Amino acid sequence: MTDNSVSRGPTRRSFLTGTAAAAGVVLGGRLLTTSTVMAAPGRTAVVAKSSAAVTHPVKQVHLAGTDGWVGMPGDAPPDPPFFPDPLAPSPFNTYVFGFRDVTGMTSNLVAAQRGKAQISAPMMAFDEDDDIYLTLTNLGLAQRPDLFDGHTLHWHGFVNAIPLFDGVPELSLAVPIGRDLTYFYRPHDAGTYMYHCHFEDVEHVQMGMTGMVFVRPAQNRTPLHAGERYAYNDGDGSTAYDREFAFMITELWSAAHYRDAHIQVNDWTDYDPSFWLLNGRAYPDTTAPNGDPLSTAAGRLQYQPISSLIRCNAGDRVLLRMSNLGYQNHELTVDNIDLTVIAKDASLLKGRDGTTNYLTTNAVEVGPGESRDAIFVAPGPGEYLLYDRKYSYLDNGGGAGYGGMMTKIVVGAPGTYPAQTAANV
Amino acid sequence: MRRLTVQRVLALTAAALVAVTPVVVRTQASAAEMSEGALCDTDTNQTFSLTARDGYISTPDGNSIYMWSYSSSKRGFQLPGPTLCVESGRPVTVILHNTLPEATSIVFPGQLGVKANGNPAQPQFDSGGSLTSLVQSAPATDGSVTYTFTAGSPGSYLYETGTDVDKQLQMGLYGALVVRPAGHPNQVNDRPDSAFANGKEYVYLLSEVDPDVHLAVERNQPVDVNSSKSRYFMINGRSMPDTLAPNNAPWLPGQPYGALVHIKPYDAVTNPLPATIHYLNAGSVNYPFHPHGSDERVINRDGHALQGPSGQDLSYLKYDLDVGPGQTLDVLMDWRDVEHWNATTNPIPTQIPAITDQLLVGPDTWFSESGYLGTKNAVPSNLTQNNECGEYYHIAHSHALEQATNYGAAFGGMMTVFRIDPPAGCVSQ
Repeated sequence: MTDNSVSRGPTRRSFLTGTAAAAGVVLGGRLLTTSTVMAAPGRTAVVAKSSAAVTHPVKQVHLAGTDGWVGMPGDAPPDPPFFPDPLAPSPFNTYVFGFRDVTGMTSNLVAAQRGKAQISAPMMAFDEDDDIYLTLTNLGLAQRPDLFDGHTLHWHGFVNAIPLFDGVPELSLAVPIGRDLTYFYRPHDAGTYMYHCHFEDVEHVQMGMTGMVFVRPAQNRTPLHAGERYAYNDGDGSTAYDREFAFMITELWSAAHYRDAHIQVNDWTDYDPSFWLLNGRAYPDTTAPNGDPLSTAAGRLQYQPISSLIRCNAGDRVLLRMSNLGYQNHELTVDNIDLTVIAKDASLLKGRDGTTNYLTTNAVEVGPGESRDAIFVAPGPGEYLLYDRKYSYLDNGGGAGYGGMMTKIVVGAPGTYPAQTAANV
Repeated sequence: MRRLTVQRVLALTAAALVAVTPVVVRTQASAAEMSEGALCDTDTNQTFSLTARDGYISTPDGNSIYMWSYSSSKRGFQLPGPTLCVESGRPVTVILHNTLPEATSIVFPGQLGVKANGNPAQPQFDSGGSLTSLVQSAPATDGSVTYTFTAGSPGSYLYETGTDVDKQLQMGLYGALVVRPAGHPNQVNDRPDSAFANGKEYVYLLSEVDPDVHLAVERNQPVDVNSSKSRYFMINGRSMPDTLAPNNAPWLPGQPYGALVHIKPYDAVTNPLPATIHYLNAGSVNYPFHPHGSDERVINRDGHALQGPSGQDLSYLKYDLDVGPGQTLDVLMDWRDVEHWNATTNPIPTQIPAITDQLLVGPDTWFSESGYLGTKNAVPSNLTQNNECGEYYHIAHSHALEQATNYGAAFGGMMTVFRIDPPAGCVSQ
């Protein structure tokens, strides 16, 4: 045990000011492709790992946590008084909490995002051995000024985490309203993860503070074939892919969202969801284009900017990253296409002796808190559906017709779609 | 939304009560002694006398629930039933005495060639051909039945009621059976790579309670299990924060088994072996159990090693163990100090905010106010500091988050804590 007189290195303020010019790129709150900046002076950027030196590119992200309003499909039947929420400003109908990507924004613009949460949270992609500085600002709740909820960031599945950066307020700390906290991560294990707020987690997760984060493998730096990208450090190229699409799987219980907006208390053991979502949208919204929460162009979907439409060319190897932060098990299936599950919970399905244990299937089960990576080879041009085999989750609020956890796979002839520049494009 | 949650004195004093002497297997022979880790009932002849009886458990929100459960015939009521630890390949005898007002029985899922009173264990039918029990039962009030079998493949198994199963399982008639590989009590299965650290074995028997069913049974009223809605979710018959209390905590007299994992960081020389956790689902829905801070390697499912026909390793790492009803998973886990943060030579490159900017939750904290393992900083006097010596705490909980509540109140239910001590341990121990 060490006593409490230790020095703690550079201060947060000196760090933030020292690198303020090197802001990341805001991509419409949809996918964060963070900028690489030089390591701040005085900090070790090269650390001995095994026998080889490993560099640690610095990535910076700034997220804000707040509340806001989103739009479930407008033709869903009313469920008075819960849905549509009578407090919702047009064109919205559902109260949420959520994160926003405010990387590079001026402090005034950051503050202006209060009450403008998005679901799902911004997707984040990093490389193995990046040094990630993730600053979380708590903007408070515009609809509920009576509450003093904190927010945190829990990188769900981060291996060998330390409590300081694990985001469980009961075991470390939370970010109070009007304050910020910088989390530090140096991921060593490629794969598909998720992140969420862990403050009053049962509530804040259901309210929408959930998003995808994935880590690309070191093998990308030394590809087996020039230009190849991989999901994992597989050693044999078996996880190579041409395109990737990520899916945050959640459910939305209208009654709970209504009660939060209307200062009422919820019994979570009565959990009874109304909408089943991919990346914060229900079908057919899932197939609408990617959006930008700073633009009103998408109308009702302004604060649900992440598309789940899969577009690829015949013969492409397509990687599906699926993470479940709902409270129910889901079984994603595709007709006419085989899916090969290569990883569960960000771990390649290979034994300690290297035995490959991939699973080829047409249905991928993902439980709450779990992730799966599956690869398929795009068949001939046409349209295919990716949907939850639990048919009762394929409607919107109990209405007629198809809805819920479903999206389309659109396959074009070779050369139809240009090379992918980011996930879910 | 901030709301009042039950504040019970968190049982970190447990840590100070742990016996320092290493023991391979703690047994209930030293009953009433508080301890951590799996607590086994063992017997040189592998013969166990169990009594099905009623009793009460307490929940962290102050409720008292009427239960039926198995207990050792030498002891009083407990939930869950005693953890029976046996050796693979040797005969096992379980004598069941029934003091309940209806017939009850035990099925041993995963065991082969089970006999009841010397006859093959068989489903039971009445004269009209209707199924009355999955297996021969002990009649109501003072009946008994003796089950025998040869302990099967090494791993963990449930034992549970085979009679009026919807109701009796909900009422609490379940327990854990741990089959150890012959000659290798510190391995999970026959593979040398399943070895675990001395004394670092944990049983997580997962279940749920619908208090309405229990109240109806207690009052001898009709029970509608089909409209059942569970409100309490438990590990070893306890809900968070009671899960952190030591084994045999005197304030939980009918709930003797704790669920606090207590380890030190992996070290190739001084701490090379992982801990093992046996997950068993005695409920009716999936329990997707998420340990923070570390992956766990699934090496057994339903009592069988995950390996190919030539011994290929088919184990896999998970950050969420989605245990299905009736399933068991045996895992190995450790925590590794990957970054070796050191305040002088390798400082954490961020600053902890002033305590007024931290929003600690509740009147007590487990946070050491430091990112460094083994460093503990001061907290203001209005906070109760549970942290002992700068150790780390990670929670582990069901991620079907309605199960991580006590009747809807967050930070409860199917949840516990993994404690990671500095390599040299806490000075106080």
